[in-house]
Amino acid sequence: MLELNGVHAHYGKVHVLQGTSLEVHNGEAVGLLGRNGVGKTTTLKTIMGLVPATGGEIVFDGRGLTDLAPHRIPDTGIGYVPQGRGIFPTLSVKENLEIALTKAPPSQVTDYVFDRFPRLKERLSQPGGTLSGGEQQMLAIARCLVMQPKLIILDEPTEGIMPILVQDIRREIKAVNDTGVSILLVEQNIKTALRLCSRIYIMEKGTVVHEATAEDLKNDTETLHRYLGVTV
Amino acid sequence: MELVIALGMNGIVWGLIIALIALGLSIIFGLLDIINIAHGDFFMVGTVLAWAVFEGTGNYWLAFAIVPIIGFGLGALIEYAVIQPIKNAAALSIVATFGLSIILQESVRATYGAAPSRLTAPIETTIPLFGLEYEVYRLFAAFISVVAIIAFFIFLHRTKMGTWMRAVRYDPETATAMGIPARRVYQITFAIGFAMAALGGVVAGPITTVDFQAGVDVLPFCFMAVIIGGLGNLEGTVAAAVMLAFFEGVMASFADPTMARIGSLCLMSLVLLIRPHGIFSGATR
Repeated sequence: MLELNGVHAHYGKVHVLQGTSLEVHNGEAVGLLGRNGVGKTTTLKTIMGLVPATGGEIVFDGRGLTDLAPHRIPDTGIGYVPQGRGIFPTLSVKENLEIALTKAPPSQVTDYVFDRFPRLKERLSQPGGTLSGGEQQMLAIARCLVMQPKLIILDEPTEGIMPILVQDIRREIKAVNDTGVSILLVEQNIKTALRLCSRIYIMEKGTVVHEATAEDLKNDTETLHRYLGVTV
Repeated sequence: MELVIALGMNGIVWGLIIALIALGLSIIFGLLDIINIAHGDFFMVGTVLAWAVFEGTGNYWLAFAIVPIIGFGLGALIEYAVIQPIKNAAALSIVATFGLSIILQESVRATYGAAPSRLTAPIETTIPLFGLEYEVYRLFAAFISVVAIIAFFIFLHRTKMGTWMRAVRYDPETATAMGIPARRVYQITFAIGFAMAALGGVVAGPITTVDFQAGVDVLPFCFMAVIIGGLGNLEGTVAAAVMLAFFEGVMASFADPTMARIGSLCLMSLVLLIRPHGIFSGATR
């Protein structure tokens, strides 16, 4: 479904992605882990066209993404939940939800979104910036869902969220994945990644250095310690 | 006393026109991070185009419809040719738009000429107001400015492009990732900014002089309104423009215009000392 083959990207002269390759299959949930500054967020931004790929190819559903204008990429069926949630604080909840829609989604999509996130329905006219961190994260996920994506890319969705709400967010991501939508998840919270994803990639210095099933990685204390400096 | 009322009223009318022009300056700054030194010249081009429409057709009303459209087109063209190549370089924008200012002024001098002229107002009647015979055209100018300002805010808050403008202004990267064509939003914003200044030129044409340097005086006034209103605060810009112009108008009734301008600058300095982010800061951005 999504395939990155030897992708390179630069910030000015800094060579951030140095030949990143990974794959996400239909309906799969894949985690991308690694220490700070190894290029996880840049990988996601490069998929979304926000950072131009300077080499390699990115293919989604058989279509090359690197030549597309960045604002056309969501149309191909990729939803993006950026780090820090990316809610527009001065726009109302309704405006935040509708911002990317060129046409209204079928009512069952809207119903599904409001069934999942009833609190958003109560706050449609409220500015996005007045929601709590957890609610903003729900809004960011809901905003993706109304676009009916085939793949959702999430950049640290549980970062800065109260521990009590982390469970809720995990549950929502799982529920989305259960409807057949593929997930590519960048996480610092390794437990979240291991619980949600079936397969995990680990990045170091701008490239993928390890690939394993979540099941195998859970028991591979040496790898976890070497690349992530943790024990689970 | 009549003089104070007359100049105060003229100040409010002029303030509403400035508010219209300064709103354009403010959205260009807020969205594109461009400090547009040529903005006064966009106004000047508006007055000259209004003059050209009147000379060509004998009908000043046509200018209200045609000139903003030409301004929009010129704005889109300038954004493409001048602004796009220097995007993300705020300091460079000062140099580039200063150059643009010279090009616009000299183009007008080469075609329209260097001699200022006056336009006859399309409404020449007066009505009694506060014991004065007040020109109806000035009231009409205030009315058109208010309508245009309200229309702009409705556009900003009720249309898809307006919502996109507010989103891009806050976070262009996320906006792009949501499928918003930020590039086009920038171009349309700049074009709207030019169109608003040009409309200001049409409205002000009959109450000021048509002159290739007319923008030189308008620009600092607009900047003062934007700064006092709070950078990026559009409602604040409108309120500050009207307050400043009223203040200058009243000052001008007992001091010469230069002293009145000095008074305004002192007022701005005072505001910046007490509230460095402007009187109406904190509301938006």
